[in-house]
Order: sequence, then structure tokens, then C-alpha cells
Amino acid sequence: MASEPGLRLVHGQGSGGDIDALLTRVARGDSEAFGQLYDEVAAAVYGLARRVVRDPERAEDVAQEVFLEVWRKAPRFDRRLGKAKTWIMTITHRRAVDAVRRNEADKRHDQHAVPDEPDREDPGEAVILAEEHGEVRDCLDTLTELQMESVRLAYFNGYTYPEVATLLDRPLATIKTRMRDGLIRLRDCLQGA
Amino acid sequence: MSDLHTLSGAYALDALSGDEAREFEGHMGDCASCSIEVLELREAAASMGASQALTPPPALKARVLAAAERQPQLPPLVTHLDDAGKKRRRRRIAIGAAAAVLAAVAGVTVTQTQGGPELSRPVAAVFHAPDVHSTQVRTSNGGTITVATSQQLDEMAVDTHQLPALSKAKVYQLWSIVAGHPSSAGLLTDVAAGRAMPLPPHGAAVAITIEPAGGSRQPTSQPIVVLSPSRV
Repeated sequence: MASEPGLRLVHGQGSGGDIDALLTRVARGDSEAFGQLYDEVAAAVYGLARRVVRDPERAEDVAQEVFLEVWRKAPRFDRRLGKAKTWIMTITHRRAVDAVRRNEADKRHDQHAVPDEPDREDPGEAVILAEEHGEVRDCLDTLTELQMESVRLAYFNGYTYPEVATLLDRPLATIKTRMRDGLIRLRDCLQGA
Repeated sequence: MSDLHTLSGAYALDALSGDEAREFEGHMGDCASCSIEVLELREAAASMGASQALTPPPALKARVLAAAERQPQLPPLVTHLDDAGKKRRRRRIAIGAAAAVLAAVAGVTVTQTQGGPELSRPVAAVFHAPDVHSTQVRTSNGGTITVATSQQLDEMAVDTHQLPALSKAKVYQLWSIVAGHPSSAGLLTDVAAGRAMPLPPHGAAVAITIEPAGGSRQPTSQPIVVLSPSRV
């Protein structure tokens, strides 16, 4: 799977309602709906996996695991407890972070100063612009430096909050509150956007 | 709010260790506002994740679809309870969860949803756990209880709404029996609410007896049911 995509715009990322409806059909074993669901969210799933685990082949493995979990657990998805896309991204993040932690020794070399996207390791590959991209970036800009660093190191690098505290040389309690404050600010900004 | 509450951000970022995450999940079972906050923070985190979208290699789709073809889907939760109680129970959980969402969004402190009998929140949390195992058991006095366990939450719960009503002079009492020694695990004063408790240690049993109102220090009657939660 060495083919590298160029810079392209991903369409249809904002259609959260469709994703919910598709997942409802997937829950009934509808494999055609599953294919459509894949088309809707594959770029988000693969992109996040790629950002966290970095290695393209491992990111593909993570993405495949994610979709299998979505398929298997769709009948248990509870719409009252959040949006389908959030559920899928939560599974993606958890699996990506698990993959990183299983393999941390060789994968997480000195990334104290976290590069912004695109990753330093892959200068040839551009991040595709999702519709969320600009909005999220603008909202991240409303965070304080420490909030943003704490959130990013945890979310994109898979560090635990004690690891983030060590990296940023701050007390544990500070880091855990910054993570919470930061996400709350991001939430409020995205809701207002 | 306890100190645990401030871990919601780290939890939503998957930045807790496995043990801490389980502890926090247990806490969320008792704290509706924490669950709501986590849902919202997760949504914010998910937007960050989605902002990284990148076209996957085209061959991935065929692999995913082929793999899904070979994988059975999980049954919906509590499916094997194919009686009328199932619908009622799920509906009651649903109403409870929806009410909690509305109350939290409105900034109201969630103490109890108004009106009719329903499962208590800690009980509903166990029935809702991703790794829930549940089973129905008949009791010797002609009732049925549903037992659910979750290793993740380290909790078990009993839904007791199908137990026969007792006179005011009597009460159902729960017991945890470790190495043959019963100790009280609480009274079922509200059978509709059910009861949640920490998972007893492996090999321990849980029993229900009918006791005089106010409960007893030691069981004074034969249990109407004895359970081994580790086998649920």
C-alpha cells in the first residue's frame, strides 16, 4: 500500500446525520450500508490513526480493526449516548493509542516539541483538508499554550497525562485540569461556531 | 464534586492508565453530570480527530468489507431476555438516560428523574456497560430477577422489578456470602430501582432473603435465590 495520495479536499465529512442513519442500518446487518459508512468516515478514521501511530501500514491495520469493531458493535450502539461519528472516532483514537502504547519504545522517540501537521516524518504527504479542519484549528487557537500542548500531546501522541506532566515539567494536577479546561474551551468554541 | 471528576478531560483524551480509566468509569456510573461532560468532551476530541482526515489506500475498503463478511455482529444488549420485561427495562433505562441528558444540558442537578419507578442510575449503568453479562434467574417465591455484571465497572446489579411485592412488615435483603459467611449487602426497599454493588470476589455468592422490615444482621430465612456472580 505504498500509493501516496496528494492534497485533496474531502467532501461529505460534515454529514453527521447520514452517518447516524447509516449506522442504524449497519446495526441490522446491512452490508451495503456498511460500505457507504466506510466511504463517509474512512478518511477521518485513517487520518487520525495515521496521525497517532504515524506508520502508514500500522495505521491501515488500526483502521481495519476500527471498522471491524464498528461492524461488530453497531447493534449495541446507543444513539442517546452521542453521535455515531463521535463513537467511531472514539474507537479509532482508543485503538490508535493502544497500538502506540504497545509499541512505544520504538515509535515514540523524542517528540517533545510536537510538530504541527503535516508530520515531520512525512514531508511528501499532505494532510487532506476536512471540512472540520479550519474550524478546529481556529478553535484550538483559543486555547492557552499549556492547554493546547496538554491536549495535543495526549490526543495526537498518545501520552498519558502523567507522561504529559513529565514532558511539560508541570504538576499532575495542573495537567489534568488543563486537559479538561482545554477540551471545554474547544467544545464551547465548536458549538458556537 | 470529587477530585475524580477533574479527570474527565484526560479520560476523554484516552490519557488515563487502564486502572484509572476503570476507576473513572465506575465514578461515571454514579455521576450523571460526569457522563454528560465526557460525552461532550469526546465530541470535541472527535472533531480534532476528524480534522486530520486523509484518504486511505484504496485497497483498504475491500479488505475491510471482506473481513466484516466473516465476522458475526454482536447481539444487541440484553437480547436473550426475550420476555416482556426486556422492553420495559430497556425503555426505562432509555428514559433515565434521556432525562439525565436533558437535565444536565439544562444545568439542573440530577437527583432523580420525576415520576414513576425506574432503575436507579448505578443499576442502569451496569446494564449499559459495554462488557455487560446478564442472565435471568427465577426465585423460589415465584419471581424473576435479572443479574448483570461488568468487569469493566467492577460492579454487579440486580433488576428486581419482577419480584413479588411484600407486605409492609417484610423487606428483601441482599447478602454477600464469602466463604460461607453472609454479610448484608443492603435492603431492596424499592424493588423497581434494583440494586448495584461492587462485584464480589471470585467464588463468593450473593443471596436474597425475605426479612422483617428494617432488615436483619444475619439471614433469618431461606434465601429465595443464591447467585454466583462470577458465572453470570
